[in-house]
This record gives sequence, structure tokens and C-alpha cells, in this order.
Amino acid sequence: MSLFDEATLRKLEQLTLVADRVRVGVMKGDRRSRKRGSSVEFADYRNYVQGDDLRRLDWNIYARLERPFIKLLEEEEDLAVHLLLDCSGSMAWPPDDPETHKLSYGLRLAGALGHIGLSGGDLVQVVLLQGDSSRRWGPFRGRQNSLRLFQFLESATAVGPTNLNHSLRQYAQRARRPGLIFILSDLFSPDGYQDGLTALQSRGYEVGLVHILSPDEVAPEAGGDLKLVDVETGQHTEISLDQATLALYRERLQGWQTEIATHCRRRQIHYIPVVTDLPWDRLILQTIRAAGVVK
Amino acid sequence: MSLLAPLALLLGLLAGPIILLYMLRLRRQEVPVSSVMLWEKLLRDREANAPWQRLRRNLLLLLQLLTLAALVLALTRPFWPIPTIASGSVVVLLDGSASMLATDVEPNRFTVATREVERLIGSLSGQDRMTIILVGQAPTVLAAAANDRALLRQALSEAAALPVTADWEAAFALAAGAAQGFQEATILLISDGGVRGNLPPLPAEVVYLPIGTASENLAISALATRPMAGDLQLLASVTNYGRQAQQTLLTLDVDGRLFDSRRLNVPAGETTSLSWELPLGATAVSAQLQPQGEDFLAADNQAWAINQGGLNRRVLLITEGNLFLEQIFTLLPGLTSFKASPAAVASQGAGDRFDLTIWDGVPLPDPPPDGDLLIINPQGENPLLRVTGVFTETTLSRFSDAPLTQFVEWGDLRIRQAQQVTAPWAETVIGGQGGPLLLAGERDGRRVVILTFDLRDSDLPLRIAFPILMANITEWLNPGQIVERHAYQPGDLVALKPPPGSTAVIITYPDGRQRTLIPGEELLAINDTWLTGLYQLTLREPGGERPGGHFAVNLFDQQESDITVAAAVQIGEAAVVQASDKDVGQREIWPWLALAALLLLMVEWWVFYRG
Repeated sequence: MSLFDEATLRKLEQLTLVADRVRVGVMKGDRRSRKRGSSVEFADYRNYVQGDDLRRLDWNIYARLERPFIKLLEEEEDLAVHLLLDCSGSMAWPPDDPETHKLSYGLRLAGALGHIGLSGGDLVQVVLLQGDSSRRWGPFRGRQNSLRLFQFLESATAVGPTNLNHSLRQYAQRARRPGLIFILSDLFSPDGYQDGLTALQSRGYEVGLVHILSPDEVAPEAGGDLKLVDVETGQHTEISLDQATLALYRERLQGWQTEIATHCRRRQIHYIPVVTDLPWDRLILQTIRAAGVVK
Repeated sequence: MSLLAPLALLLGLLAGPIILLYMLRLRRQEVPVSSVMLWEKLLRDREANAPWQRLRRNLLLLLQLLTLAALVLALTRPFWPIPTIASGSVVVLLDGSASMLATDVEPNRFTVATREVERLIGSLSGQDRMTIILVGQAPTVLAAAANDRALLRQALSEAAALPVTADWEAAFALAAGAAQGFQEATILLISDGGVRGNLPPLPAEVVYLPIGTASENLAISALATRPMAGDLQLLASVTNYGRQAQQTLLTLDVDGRLFDSRRLNVPAGETTSLSWELPLGATAVSAQLQPQGEDFLAADNQAWAINQGGLNRRVLLITEGNLFLEQIFTLLPGLTSFKASPAAVASQGAGDRFDLTIWDGVPLPDPPPDGDLLIINPQGENPLLRVTGVFTETTLSRFSDAPLTQFVEWGDLRIRQAQQVTAPWAETVIGGQGGPLLLAGERDGRRVVILTFDLRDSDLPLRIAFPILMANITEWLNPGQIVERHAYQPGDLVALKPPPGSTAVIITYPDGRQRTLIPGEELLAINDTWLTGLYQLTLREPGGERPGGHFAVNLFDQQESDITVAAAVQIGEAAVVQASDKDVGQREIWPWLALAALLLLMVEWWVFYRG
């Protein structure tokens, strides 16, 4: 699977991730500071990590100590970008339509955001949340890591249950460098997600919540008397899918999303509801831009 | 309530398969979804009104079971017992005569009677059959041994009463025949009781259902003209059939103009007669009653009379000279006679067209002239007859009962000799020992009478029989008369005999309707004379149309005008009194159940699609 073609990558490279409330840059990035009028002043050194722009390497220090250090300047900052992708069983949906497959969509979106971050000199970390275990990639910096990021993403699968609250809390506790965090999930987590988000926020993260739903989840079709089986938990429920029930379902869904949006707005979380039949580049270039996290 | 087909209840076992199918249907199809989280929330909300939901889930099953129940119940043919006047197989004699048009019950007696029959049709049970006979001028079987209610109702709806006299004898004969087809039959007589005549006893129980309440009716019971001492006299009778004296206005119109109007007092049950002197040329007289009190039958409030002398017939007598004939045709009423010598006829022809031509000892031309013919002492041979000789054995030996010989006293008629005539188309009315003396018949659309002897060779002209015979002959030949009589009763067959040369007869009915009959192509008779009134006749001839006279149709029937409802009907030796609802009929309710099943099915369909 190839997530992006060359032209798309070029397009993505034009973009920059924006965090309004996070200023924890410890190292120079390509990000132009929002602070106005500051001069080019030395701030600090830090260890070189793979992917750092070699132009920022302090060759003098390297010549003297034979160890690579990166010189950090105050007016330029870098951003820690965390991409948390829900890889629970419910994300492997719909199983028969790769175009609107939620996991694929999420992976592509994570790839895009990761590439934007890497291109912008941000420190990017990607975590695939799956049950108690989670697979990590990064943190890495520099656009040369994009390909590896893509390779990592392509290996992802969605299976098993995920407790979103638990995973997020855990991640918040482990975090060493808070920053801009994107949570890509369908939020089908019976135990909720609010506590996890609160935990992240309390650790100083700026949260973007991308709520991914497939078209058949938004507008299911009538099918008579059915036994619905949850692919993630194996739970089942019996229901007669008639027009009245479907109308009620749509009402419920809308109510749920409104509830999430209200919760997020109150806590200054970027809530981005997405249906997977929306072309993903339109999502990046329009929807996420409109949310103010990409410029 | 009882059931006619209780075995159909076994079909109720079909409820088993329905419930089974329903349970099978409830084994839901498993469908994977990404998450049941939202659906469970939804279900939790819906469980708030769970009893209704549960009922709704089972509503379809309930409706299906109810539909089945209604259908099974309909198939068992349940019925309510209802009181009825006759049960089992019934032969209904429905009076459709003039008296049933009386309006003492709303809207009239006949409609009320048909409602009674409908009620009876409704209570007809499964195996019973019904025959409906409409008793009119000629009884009509509307439905024979039928069990199909729709058919019976349809037959009944087509029946109508007419202002005619009922022929009860024929109706009873029909009813007796119909009742023999049934095992236990009841003959139901629905009438106002005007049942008279030499009625045969019926082979089944007879039940009488009288219709009507009142007897008030004033009728014109007679209207006629007669010539008297050079004048024309009109006689009218008005009868009060009711129980109270009645006042009325009698209006006379002569030839469409008001002639006189008189106020009459007619005591109950009596007849008042009046007479007028009419102008000599009067042709058509109409009389109308305008009763001041109650009068429930309108059909007999009008009458019409035709003056027979109004139309003169032209007779041509071709003879060398015969005093007897010349005298008698001058005396006979309604005839204008002309005389011509054979020589003049041979040279110039008969001239104008005549209604009747009398050939006295004169050979007929070939072809014979138009019009009716009276041939006396025939000569020679022509297309009508052949004279083969003379016979003298003239003693009368054969008499046939024909209108020609009515009232004729032959006695010992003496005839010296007569011509031996061969005319195969003619019937011998009077025959002598040697051959026929008087022949009559129809040939080529005309009537022909042949007297085979010379009147002067017999003593016939000296006998009283002569004027009567001649009057009969001219009456039978009826020259110029299109109809035989001038007064008929409704429904009578009116035979038309247009004069020769007519191409069509146009009949104008009292309601203005016209009918054209073509001589030679169709039967020249009408029998749809249901309307009382004047019927005008018009003759179409090559030269144009000319009036052909009138005839009148009047009810003039005491039996029908007397609308008193009889409490009992005398049939043979037995008197049949009024029926009561003593029998038990069955009112089946399966159509309602079937309708209920249909409605339930529609509701079930609606519920199914509505979800």
C-alpha cells in the first residue's frame, strides 16, 4: 500500500501544523514563531537525533567534541506532534469497502499529519492504540523519516477492543514532551473518552479529536428484524430496523456528536467529525484547516 | 347464532402454521456492525415504552390471527334466526297490476311489495330456493328456483307494475307448476287482494301478504260515444270505490278543445253517469277527473273515446244493377258508397282508390284492383279464383264459427244455383252440399270474401240475415279501418291493417314517442300499449302522409280500480288470510365477516408497511 503519491506529498509539505496553546519547543524547528520582533538569539544546545536538519548542526562544537549538537535559537521553535490512532476492531469497518474503510482513512490522515509535522521540523510520534498494548513510532524529526513513517503505518491492523480512556490516560502519564496531539478514533468506546482527554489536557497537550465514522454508520439502511453483532466486542443486540428506528438512530447519532462537540468546545479541544466518504485531501486542506490546527 | 357449516371450524387449525411461521420469522438474521454502542442506547430509550413496543411487535400476528378467525367464521356460515312470513322454498306471486300503482303507501304499493320480497330474499337460507312470478297481464317468471340472492335481487329490480289487469288464473297455473319442483314449498301471494277468477287450488301452502291500507279511489269507469237520432251522444260514468263520498271535477275535451267541465258528487261505492250531446264531427273525446279528496290511483282518472263515425270509408259497387246491394250499402253506417257500371270500369278503370270494392257478377280484371274485395257471383278465371261450373245442391251443410256468421240466422235458406269456385287460399265459411257458398280469406295483403251465388237466385236478400251478414262482412273486411276496435285496455295486442298502397304506419304514443311499422316486413301489431291515452295513427303513402285515425287505451277495469285491500283471498274452497311472521328465517352474516377479514387484512398490510 502506498499512502500518498509524490504530488500529494508536495502539497502536504506546503502545510504547517499549528498549536495555539503549546510552547514547549526545546529545539529549533522550521516553525516561524508567533512572537513578533524577537531577534536571532542563541537559546540552547541539544543532542542531535536522527532526522534533524543538518543545517542546524553546530559544526564548531562537532569539530571540537566530535559529537553532533543542534543549536536552538529562541525565535524558532519546534513542536511535539503526537498522532494517536485508534486501532480497535471497530475501526476495521466497513470490511468490504476499502474506499470508506475507517482504519485506512485514519492511517492516511495520520500519515498526512505526520508528513506535515516531519516536513515542518516537528517532533512526530505515532502510536497505534490497540488493547492494552500499543505500537509506537518515533519520536522522529525531519522529512527524511516520512517514508519510514508510512511503512510503519502500512503495517497497522485493527483488531480487538480498546479502552480509549485507559489508553489515553496511560499515554498522558508517560508523556515526556507534551505538544499537539491528534486522536483519530471512531469513539466507539463504551467506557468513554472524556477522562482520557482531560488527562491529556492536564499534562499540557493541545488536543485535536478527529472523529472518524463511515457512511453506513451515519446513515444505516433498513433491514427488517436483525441481530446486530459488534465486531469489536462480540456483543449483540436484537432490533427491528424499520424507518422509525432508523430515524431515531440518526437522531441519536446527531445527539451524540453534538454532545462530543459541546464537551470539546468547553475544553478547547479541536473536534473534527469526519465521514470517510469525504475525500481525505479535502479533509486535510479544508476541514482540518478550518479547525485551525493546520495552516 | 348457529352455524350452517360447522366443519369449517377445522380450518381454524391454520392458526398453528401462522404462529409457527411467525416464530420462524422472529429468528433474526445476524448482521455484524462496527459497534452496537449507539444501538444499545437507542434500545434503552425505546424500552421506556416497552409494553407498547411488545404489543406492536405482536400486532401483526394478532391481526393475522383475527383475519383467520373472521375468515373461518365466515366459512362456517353463521346465521341469526329472524322471524319471516315464509321459510323454505318459496314461490312468490308478486302482483304487478294497475291497483298496485296505488299510492296509499309510500311510494306505492308495488315498491312496498318488492321490499317485502327483498326482505324474504335476505332471510333465504342455504338450500332454499325461490321463484318469483310477476303477475301482470301475462304472468312472467322473473327468477326460477334460484338460490343466488344477487340474481334474485337483480330479477326483482327489473320488475315493474303496469296499469294492466292481472291474469291470476295463468299466474296460479304457473305457481302450481313451480311449486311442484320444490319439496316443501310455500306460495306467497303479495298483492292488494284483487285476486279474482276461476282460480285452481294450489298444491302447496299459500300465504297471503296484503299490501296497502286505503281504498279511496275515484275512477272514470266508462266513456263512450254513440250516434242517436242524428246526434252524437257521449256517455261517461264515474265510480267512487272508496268509503267516503267524493267531490270531483270532470273535464271534457273534444278534439283537443275544452268542451265542458262539471262538478260531481259521487257517494261512496256508487257510480254517477252523465251524458252530453257532442258536435257531429267530433272524433276524439278525452275526460279527466280532478278529485278534491283522497284518490290513490291516478291511472283511472283519465279516459278517452273515439267516435267511430268520424271516419268514412269509401265503397265502390260494380254491378249491372242490384237493388239489394245498393240499398244495404247506403244504409250501413260509416260507409260512403259509389256505384259504377262494369263497362265504365272496364274502359276507365276504377278511378280513385277505394277501401272496398264489390264485384257483383262481374269478372275481375287481371291483376285484381287494390283494396279489400267482396266478390258476389264470381265469373271467369283470375289470379284469385277459378270458376269451374255450377252446382245446384245448395242445401247448407257446413257452418264454421267465424266472425262473418255471428248473429246470422240462416234458417232454410234457399239458393237456386251457385258457382263452383276453386280458391285454395280461402276458407269455406258456409258450404252447401255441392260446394262452398261463402268463402273468406286473405290474399296479397287484402281480405277477400266470395259469395258464390247471385243474390237474386236466392231468398237471402229477403231475410233478416242479409243486413246482418252484410254488416259482418263489411266489419270483417273492415275497409279503411286500420285498427279493428277503437278502444283497448293497456297491454292489449293491437293489430294494424293499413289500406293497400300504404308504405308505412306511424304510431304516435300518448307520450309523443313514435314507432314506424313497414307492411310486408314485420308483423303489423303492437302490444306495448301500457300507457293509457290516445294513440294516433298516420299512414305513409307514395303521395305523402295522411292521418289514419286514433285508438284509445283506457284502464276501465273495475277489478283494478277497486283498490280496497282484501283481508282474505278465496282460492278454490279455501280462504287464505293474512300472513304473520310466524316462520323462522335465517339471516346469514358471512358477508360481514368476509368484509371484516378484508378490513383486517388491509390494516395488517398498513401496519406492516408503516413498521
